[in-house]
Amino acid sequence: MQIPDKPDPLVNNWARPFWDGTREKKLLIQLCSDCKKHIFYPRMVCPYCFSDNIEWAEASGKATIYSFTVVESNAPSPFVPDMPFVIAVVILEEGVRMLTNIVECDPHALECEQAVEVTFVKKNDEFTLPQFKPVSAT
Amino acid sequence: MRRGKAKGAIIGIGEVPTGRFQETEAIEFAMKSAKLAIEDAGINKEEIDCIMPTAAMFSGVFTNEMATGRMVEELGLTGVKTNCNIWSGGSSSSNSLKLACAMLAQGDAKNVLMVQAEKLATGMPSGQAGIDLFAFAGQSPEWEIPFGQNFSSLTALATTRYQYETGTTDEQMAAVCVSNRKWAEMNPHAFFRKPLTIEEVMASKMLSTPLRAKMSNMLFDGGSALIVTSAERAPDVVDKPVYVLGEGGSSTHFVFSQEPDMTRFGFAKAGRLAYEQAGLTAANIDVAEIYDSYPIYQVIAFEELGFCERGGAGEIFLRGDTWPGGKIPCTTDGGMLSKGHIGAGGSYSLLVESVRQLRGTTGERQVPGARFAIETGTGGTYVDSHATILGSEIP
Repeated sequence: MQIPDKPDPLVNNWARPFWDGTREKKLLIQLCSDCKKHIFYPRMVCPYCFSDNIEWAEASGKATIYSFTVVESNAPSPFVPDMPFVIAVVILEEGVRMLTNIVECDPHALECEQAVEVTFVKKNDEFTLPQFKPVSAT
Repeated sequence: MRRGKAKGAIIGIGEVPTGRFQETEAIEFAMKSAKLAIEDAGINKEEIDCIMPTAAMFSGVFTNEMATGRMVEELGLTGVKTNCNIWSGGSSSSNSLKLACAMLAQGDAKNVLMVQAEKLATGMPSGQAGIDLFAFAGQSPEWEIPFGQNFSSLTALATTRYQYETGTTDEQMAAVCVSNRKWAEMNPHAFFRKPLTIEEVMASKMLSTPLRAKMSNMLFDGGSALIVTSAERAPDVVDKPVYVLGEGGSSTHFVFSQEPDMTRFGFAKAGRLAYEQAGLTAANIDVAEIYDSYPIYQVIAFEELGFCERGGAGEIFLRGDTWPGGKIPCTTDGGMLSKGHIGAGGSYSLLVESVRQLRGTTGERQVPGARFAIETGTGGTYVDSHATILGSEIP
């Protein structure tokens, strides 16, 4: 089977700093200057208080697994060679949720609420994906 | 009978069987279903003054034709004032019915035709190409697709978390498939009609842990239609109108990972609104026609709508309370897991089945004496939760 390239993120203008950040191995999320809540994914306006005063803040990269799954079959074509691989929703220390992959792990040993930390995986010159690995893995 | 509280009434239904029909065009499913519904209502086709078709995933061309009046012309519906596509994926029927009732109440329509057709089996690529096409439908191209997210994996994420929080077992989740199949065995419009066991579900291929192949819907062709009129007019038109008693909804996310609680979604709120409008509670409901594209969504809605305590649904589906003859029959047409997934038709189908149950015309799968039904729909990656309460009478 011809394996197509994995799709690059289709970037919204206002999210550009996030992807610039991951390329520099920084996990940048938004912080509302008015209500002081963290925001992810990046928004044009604060979804909590409707403020336009949004700044960028570097997240610690520490997170816990909210949920995860090991993809064993029927993955979209670009991801077939990676099977089995892990897709997860993690909750960052700052309180926001993010879809990601858990890497450098035994997929079947993962658990909900497990502590993970960010690792930056270069996709190409333009994009680096924020993925996560168990904190015990070094 | 007091007629103040109903929001509208369904007076006609039409449905074609779900299956693989290579030679049939989608417009045929739509026209056949519409004609059946109009004839079922016993009204003249010229009395239809509003059409609400919905989009089809298999074809933008067909969707555009429906949006721009093909049904009006093909069927000679010369009385139509409004032809307007209503599209929100699997909740299209919920939103269409809500809007139809509003137009009826406002005096902007007298007879609304809701109609849907799909060709997901024979109108789209199959195999890996089909997986690829559907994998990316409704997923965020910035925040999810680059990580490999697809419909199986997002459903698996909800299932993993739900099972973690409630202790529900894989076998209990598999029991939902078995429950729905027991109903489908008796539905001539269902695609999968052979008996199914827990063991067979558990032996099927693992897609994305803990979701297995037989816990996944399959895509088919089909179509259905309904005629809605006002509650005041309905008894003069048909012997057994089915009243729309309550409708509730809740839109909770767009990007799946941003759902605040993927073990509940918005069904509690949707149910509360619908029960309030109807003046009923779960204890009054005789049949629960719950949207089931995968077991997890049926289990969650069943609980959130008040049919059992949180975490209790798995055992209820396993011990047979939702099966034919059970205490709270659920998804009695077999659902998308057994009747088959026909796009927006998933919840259209359950609405049609609710009407049949409340008329007492479902034959061997009839729930004896069914007076009140609840029906649910949810669109996209389960972005919204809808509940509709229907009755053969107005309480």
